[in-house]
Amino acid sequence: MATYLEFIQQNEEQDGVRFSWNVWPSSRLEATRMVVPLACLLTPLKERPDLPPVQYEPVLCSRPTCKAILNPLCQVDYRAKLWACNFCFQRNQFPPAYTGISEVNQPAELMPQFSTIEYVIQRGAQSPLIFLYVVDTCLEEDDLQALKESLQMSLSLLPPDALVGLITFGRMVQVHELSCEGISKSYVFRGTKDLTAKQIQDMLGLTKPAAPMQQARPAQPQEHAFVSSRFLQPVHKIDMNLTDLLGELQRDPWPETQGKRPLRSTGVALSIAVGLLEGTFPNTGARIMLFTGGPPTQGPGMVVGDELKTPIRSWHDIEKDNARFMKKATKHYEMLANRTAANGHCIDIYACALDQSGLLEMKSCTNLTGGHMVMGDSFNTSLFKQTFQRIFSKDFNGNFRMAFGATLEVKTSRELKIAGAIGPCVSLNVKGPCVSENELGVGGTSQWKICGLDPTLTLGIYFEVVNQHNAPIPQGGRGAIQFVTQYQHSSTQSRIRVTTIARNWADAQNQLRHIEAAFDQEASAVLMARLGVFRAESEEGPDVLRWLDRQLIRLCQKFGQYNKEDPTSFRLSDSFSLYPQFMFHLRRSPFLQVFNNSPDESSYYRHHFARQDLTQSLIMIQPILYSYSFQGPPEPVLLDSSSILADRILLMDTFFQIVIYLGETIAQWRKAGYQDMPEYENFKHLLQAPLDDAQEILQARFPMPRYVNTEHGGSQARFLLSKVPSQTHNNLYAWGQETGAPILTDDVSLQVFMDHLKKLAVSSA
Amino acid sequence: VMRCPAGRAEVAMAELYVKPGNKERGWNDPPQFSYGLQTQAIGSKRTPLTKRVAAAQDGSPKAAASETTPGLPTTGPPPPSNNAPRPPPMGSCPASSVESPNFPVIECETLLEDVLRPLEQALEDCRGHVRKQVCDDISRRLALLQEQWAGGKLSVPVKKRMTLLVQELSSQRWDAADDIHRSLMVDHVTEVSQWMVGVKRLIAEKKNLSSEEEATEEKSAATTEQNQTVPGFLGAP
Repeated sequence: MATYLEFIQQNEEQDGVRFSWNVWPSSRLEATRMVVPLACLLTPLKERPDLPPVQYEPVLCSRPTCKAILNPLCQVDYRAKLWACNFCFQRNQFPPAYTGISEVNQPAELMPQFSTIEYVIQRGAQSPLIFLYVVDTCLEEDDLQALKESLQMSLSLLPPDALVGLITFGRMVQVHELSCEGISKSYVFRGTKDLTAKQIQDMLGLTKPAAPMQQARPAQPQEHAFVSSRFLQPVHKIDMNLTDLLGELQRDPWPETQGKRPLRSTGVALSIAVGLLEGTFPNTGARIMLFTGGPPTQGPGMVVGDELKTPIRSWHDIEKDNARFMKKATKHYEMLANRTAANGHCIDIYACALDQSGLLEMKSCTNLTGGHMVMGDSFNTSLFKQTFQRIFSKDFNGNFRMAFGATLEVKTSRELKIAGAIGPCVSLNVKGPCVSENELGVGGTSQWKICGLDPTLTLGIYFEVVNQHNAPIPQGGRGAIQFVTQYQHSSTQSRIRVTTIARNWADAQNQLRHIEAAFDQEASAVLMARLGVFRAESEEGPDVLRWLDRQLIRLCQKFGQYNKEDPTSFRLSDSFSLYPQFMFHLRRSPFLQVFNNSPDESSYYRHHFARQDLTQSLIMIQPILYSYSFQGPPEPVLLDSSSILADRILLMDTFFQIVIYLGETIAQWRKAGYQDMPEYENFKHLLQAPLDDAQEILQARFPMPRYVNTEHGGSQARFLLSKVPSQTHNNLYAWGQETGAPILTDDVSLQVFMDHLKKLAVSSA
Repeated sequence: VMRCPAGRAEVAMAELYVKPGNKERGWNDPPQFSYGLQTQAIGSKRTPLTKRVAAAQDGSPKAAASETTPGLPTTGPPPPSNNAPRPPPMGSCPASSVESPNFPVIECETLLEDVLRPLEQALEDCRGHVRKQVCDDISRRLALLQEQWAGGKLSVPVKKRMTLLVQELSSQRWDAADDIHRSLMVDHVTEVSQWMVGVKRLIAEKKNLSSEEEATEEKSAATTEQNQTVPGFLGAP
C-alpha cells in the first residue's frame, strides 16, 4: 500500500470503517495522551455490489463468552482441521461441512479479501415488511391533497407483499380497517387520553378470546395473522381500496375557531400505532410513518396549547425555563420510542409546516429507532415528494435500500474495551469483559439495536486502550475488532454481516511518527464532532465549545512542531493540516450553535449529523465550495469570502442547501445575454457547468436539499455569505486590490482563530 | 388519421426531465426529477465534488485562494469562444438535458381504443380465475380511464406511456409494464392516481395467471434443486 490515504480509502470501501488512528498507541496512558480517542465510524450495511452474500451460516468460536466468528485473522491448522480464535485464542474444531478445506481450498470467510462477509440465515419464518401510515388530517386543502397523492403513489413503490395500515388523526384518532369489500370501517379513539398497549389491543379486538380450545392448538401464528389482518393487509390485496380510502380522506371535520390552532392528537395517534404493532408483529421489520403538518396540541405529548396567541417554545423560552409542555411531551415520546425500539420497529417523522411542529420533543422517536426525520414547508413541495420517494429507492440488485431490526455486536481483542456508540441506536445492555466502565456516547454495553437502517447509516464507535504501560505488547502485535450485524434484509431474509479488522500497535514513545502518520483527520473530526453534539444535547453550548477548544489545543501541543513561546514557528504535518479548520467550522455550525435556528431546526440538523456517513458528515461540518471560471475545470476553493470573485461562479454544498452564486461580472454578462450569442458559446457552457454538477448532487442526496440559485447582490446571496467567514475584517490583506468580498461581521475569522490556537499551543503556561 | 406507433426511444427521452420545484409553497424548493432520471441515477457514478483546500497554516487565505483572472477586464464582454485560450469549462458530469415536462413528443395520435381494448381483453382473461369483486373493481377503473381520456383530461405524455405500457403487457413483459405504471404514478400522480391502481392490479393478476400456467406446464419436468447449505468453497484465484 503506497500511502495511508490509500489504505484508509480502501478500508472504507471494503469494510465501511474509518478509524481515527490506524496505528494504535499500545498503552492506556499513551492513548489518553493522543487526545482524539481511538474510535471509528462504522457503516454497517455499506453498499457492496461486489459482495454477494454466502448461503450458509457463520462458524462461531466455541467459548461461550466469546462466540467470535471465524475470519481471515484466525490461524488455521488445515491438517488437524482446527482454527484458533484471534480474540480469545480458543482452539476450535471445524464443523463437519468443512472437512474438505485445505490451503488451496478455503472457505470465503478465511480469505483476506473477505474481511467483510455477509451470511444469509435460512432459519426462521420470514415475515413481510410492514408500513403503517399515521396521517395528520389537520392540513390545508392543498397540502392534504398533495400528501394523499404521495401516499397513493407510494403504494406503487412498496414491495407488493408488504403489509400496509392506515391511522388518521386530528381531534380524534381513527384506525382504519382495511378490507377488500367496498365498506370502510374505522375505530375511533379520543385524542386526549393515553392508553396502554393492552387497552389499545383490547379495543381493537386484537387480543384473542380465552377460548379453551386454543390452548390445545400450537398453531397460533395463523390465527394471529388473521386477527391483525383487519388493520394490516398486503399491498397487492388492498391497493385499490386503500387508494380510494386515501382519496376520500377529508380534512379534520372539527370546526377550527378563530385564533386557535387545530386540535392535533399526535401523541395518542403514535401511541396507538406503536401499540398496534407491538401486539401484532413484535420483532419483525416495520416502519411507522408519521406525516404531520403542525405541533401536537392536545392529549399526552402536546407541545403547545391551541391558543394561537401563545407561540410555540423558542430557545429563549427553553433557557428561561418557560417551555411549559416540553419536559412532559419529551417524556411521552421517549417512552414510545423506547417501546418501539424494544419491538424492533422504527418511526419516521415527515413534518411539513412553516412553523415548528414539535420535532424537539418527538426526536427520540426517530433517533432511537433509526427512523428518518424529514422537515419541509409543505407536503406540496418537491422537497417532500422526492425525499419521500427516495425512501423506497432500490440498490444495484433491485433490493430496497432499507433494512430492519439490526443488532450490532462489537468484539475486541483483550488490549481494548468498548466505551460506547453514537448514532441512531439503543443499548441492549449486554455487559461483558470487553465493555469499558468509561462511557463515551451510549456505553456500558457491547451490543446495540438499530431498528431502521439504510446503506449510509453510520455509527461512531469509541474504544479504550486498556493495556498497561508496563506490560508492553510484543513487537509486531496487532489489535483486532469484529463487528457483527444481524439484521432483516429488505427481501425479508435474515442476514449477518461480519467485518473483522486489525491494526498494528506502536509504542508512542519511540514510534510516535508512525502513529501520527496514520492519523485520519477526517474521521477524527467527525468522531470528535459527534462527541461534541452528543454532549450539546445535555450540556450548555459554551461548555461544549470550550471542551472542543481544549481538545484542539492539546492535540496541537502534542503533534505540532514548534519552539516554545514562538507562535510563528508552529507547524502541523500533512496528516493534521485540515483538522483545525474542521474544528473552526464545527464551532460555527448549526450542530453546536443554536442562534438563528429554532429548537426544531436544531433537532433536525443534529438528527442527520448523527446518522450520515463520513463524506456527508464532513460536508455538514465544513461545506464544500467549488469555483467555475474560464481558466479550466472547476476547482475547490477555500471556504472564505476571498473566494467570492467577480468572474467566477461558485457552487456551495452545505448538505442541507445547494447554492449557486454568480459573481458580479458573470451576472452582468448573463443579464446582457451573452450566453445566447453563438460566438460566446463558452460562456453558455460556463453557466451550465455548475447547474449540471448541482443536479448530480440533488439526484443523490437524501433528504433533498434546498436549492438556491443566486447572484452577486441577490437577496439569497445571504446563504453563501453566512457560511463563508471573512478574513478581510480586522486585518490587512485586502488593501488596494480586489481579492474577494468583504463581509462585515463580528465572527472570528479563520486567521484570528489560527493565531490564537498557535499562541496557546506553544505556550508553556 | 395518420397513425404511428409511439417511438420507444422518443418516449424514453421525454421521460428524462427536471421540472422546477414549488417555490410558492417551499422556500428554495429543489427541482423535481422525473422517475426516469431518478432510477437512472443509481448507475451513474462520477467523481464527487468533495475536495477541500487547506488554508495556509497561518489561516490566511493567500496561499490557497485562487488569483483573479489576469488581464481579463471585469467590464466588457466575456472571452468569445473562438479565441478562448483553453477548452470550455465543463462540469465534471456530462450535461444532461433539462427539459420541461412537455418535451416535444411528436404529436401523433394515440387512440383510446388501442389502449383500452388490450386492457379489457386482459381483464376478460382474468375473469374466472380472479375474484369477481376484484375484476369488477378493475373494470370500474378502466371505465374511469376511458371517461377521462375521452373527456380530454389526459395529457399527451400520459397517453404515450399508456400506449407503451399496453404494448409491454401484450408482449407479456410484466416487469417492464409494471415499471411504466410506476413511472406514471411518480410523474403524473394527479392525473392517473384514481384509475392507475386498476391497471397495476391487472398487470399483477395477468402475471400470476401466466406463471400459474407455466407452473402447470413445467410441473412434470420439475427437478428438485437442493438448496446450497454447505459453505461455498472458492478455489485459489
